[in-house]
Amino acid sequence: MTDTSTLSETGTPSKGASHLSRYFYKSPLSRGYGLLSPTLLLMTLGIVVPVCILLVMSFWTRQGFGFDTTFTTANYVKAFDQPIYMALMKRSLYVSAWATISTVLLAYPMAYYVAFHVHKNKMMWIVLMTLPFWTSYLLRVFAWKVVLGYEGVINSFLMGMGVIDAPLEFLLYSPTAVIVTLTHAWAAFAILPMYVSLEKIDKSLLEAATDLGDGPIWRFIRITLPLSMPGIISASFLIFIPTTGDYITPALLGGPDGMMIGNLIQLQFGAVNNWPMGASLSIILMLFIASIGLVFLFLTKLARERIS
Amino acid sequence: MDVLDQLGSMREGKMSRRAFTKSLMAAGIGVATAPMLPRGASAAGQQGTYFTWGGYDIPELFGEYVEKNGELPNFAIFGGTEEGLTKMRGGYVVDVAHPCNSGVPRWISTGLFQPVDTSRLSHWDDVMPELVNVQGNVVDGKPYMVPFDWGQTSVTYRTDLFEVEGEESWDMLWDKRYSGRLGSLASGADAWWCGAIKAGVPLTDIASEDAFEKIAAAMREQRPLIRTYTDDTTTLEQALASGEMVAAMTWNSSAVVLKSEGVPVKFAKPKEGALTWVCGMMIHKDAPNLDRAYDIIDSLLSVKTGEFMINDYGYGHSNKKAFDAFDAATLEGLGLSKNPIEILEAGHFQIPQTQDWETRMNETFEQIKAGF
Repeated sequence: MTDTSTLSETGTPSKGASHLSRYFYKSPLSRGYGLLSPTLLLMTLGIVVPVCILLVMSFWTRQGFGFDTTFTTANYVKAFDQPIYMALMKRSLYVSAWATISTVLLAYPMAYYVAFHVHKNKMMWIVLMTLPFWTSYLLRVFAWKVVLGYEGVINSFLMGMGVIDAPLEFLLYSPTAVIVTLTHAWAAFAILPMYVSLEKIDKSLLEAATDLGDGPIWRFIRITLPLSMPGIISASFLIFIPTTGDYITPALLGGPDGMMIGNLIQLQFGAVNNWPMGASLSIILMLFIASIGLVFLFLTKLARERIS
Repeated sequence: MDVLDQLGSMREGKMSRRAFTKSLMAAGIGVATAPMLPRGASAAGQQGTYFTWGGYDIPELFGEYVEKNGELPNFAIFGGTEEGLTKMRGGYVVDVAHPCNSGVPRWISTGLFQPVDTSRLSHWDDVMPELVNVQGNVVDGKPYMVPFDWGQTSVTYRTDLFEVEGEESWDMLWDKRYSGRLGSLASGADAWWCGAIKAGVPLTDIASEDAFEKIAAAMREQRPLIRTYTDDTTTLEQALASGEMVAAMTWNSSAVVLKSEGVPVKFAKPKEGALTWVCGMMIHKDAPNLDRAYDIIDSLLSVKTGEFMINDYGYGHSNKKAFDAFDAATLEGLGLSKNPIEILEAGHFQIPQTQDWETRMNETFEQIKAGF
């Protein structure tokens, strides 16, 4: 802080202003914090404090209706000892990894098309692509239940065409149903960031690549893909992080074999009534996601360096 | 000045910015202070909140309440009573909640509920005393739970799709011939107890270590056969109607609702006996609308509500006069009787357990449902 106050001394003095307000206007640091303060306050109250509470609670244990507040790592030991917790964690990561990959793969061509081949009414295209997301998340998940269901759209169609005699039962209540639904439900979060980064690519770079002898495929691999990487990375994070903990979709479509860690955490805070265990599982989930995110970032950085 | 006038003069540039800001401020203060204005005893006043299962949030049950207060009460829905209790322990305040007899002593021990002043209930004298005197409900001569509905948890099956071998029995939900076409309620408060009946464990003995293992083994055996576990009775009813499931663990109402839609189903009378229960209303200790809380309870106890419960849902009701509209044959067809104890004791009546047991049971059952 002493650095910045000397810095403010060097600025042009404004007449009539008190020392404090002059300091405030001239110091870039305090001005920055001043602008940040409403958000910062909200973040502290809404994220930092609850995470701290969660962290503290995860070292407690349940006792009847209350908590035993002596410090213990018993919950963490239990989470790694009993097979159910890590198995569900693995399944959650598996499901959301597939959901992320398929969302990004399916959304990339759409974003690419709008960014490079649509020249009129781009905004309308974007709005049209996000149109399904104007309905509520729960409704979209439920709609998939209708599509995949026993007497659902797919089964009725296939039976009507005479392809199958009895409804396909594996469509609903399976991890696959969860992956399909998550892929659709989160598509907008992939299209938008990827569109933005594709849109920003300087078209003259593509021309230069062509001039220097790159065919369309190499041009894509050497220019478009690396330059759109920030969009792909942010899309992957935007989808991977929330879907790992998702619980509505597995609850409605997962069936007994599609249960995910989010459902288990919800149960700890609900019927099972073991809040400290739920807190521990939440913390473990956060750590898992964070470490996977770091590995992913590292790998993409490596890949980008390789390509360029 | 009228708002439209102001906007008009604004558009014409006749209004100063300051005047406009001033009127905006006036509007702001007006909006902010509106809740402080004295409220007339109009129908638009605050309604009581009733915390219950889906299916109890319908106008047919609140005729008297609407007559008196002009509107339906507010509803909050839980998937199971344990979930509801945890939510209230987390600070959620309602006026009236809807627990069942096996939970009552634990609910009372949380200190979140107040005893009921029965003199404020006009239908209290018609309430069957046997249902009030369930274990743990009356403390120091005052009841905490006002009984409302009672019934059974049993197997609803498609008579055209499920071939019963011998007598109806709990084995139907463990029948390997119908693997993947059986359904179950997800809440341990029903399923675990039914598992105990299937495993042959007397319910008085359900807390023992031996019982735990036997029931867990039975539930594990059943799990691969189950299409889905759900707390949503509509899901089970739709699955039974479409033939996706041929048999499922349900309450009385699912069978009655499906029958009224012309689906060939039957609510089984298992040879081992069904699971029986009584549910009712408890008042939160901090109920913000105590008068309305009593209105909700009184309305639920009314004869009209009772007739609807019996006729359309097939549940027993706690008002003995509600049964007068039905002849004995109709009641028998629904698996009910004017003498509730007869029915409740013919089945296996749920017994209150400790909190530790509940947590352990739920934890184990969740693990089994997840396949462990």
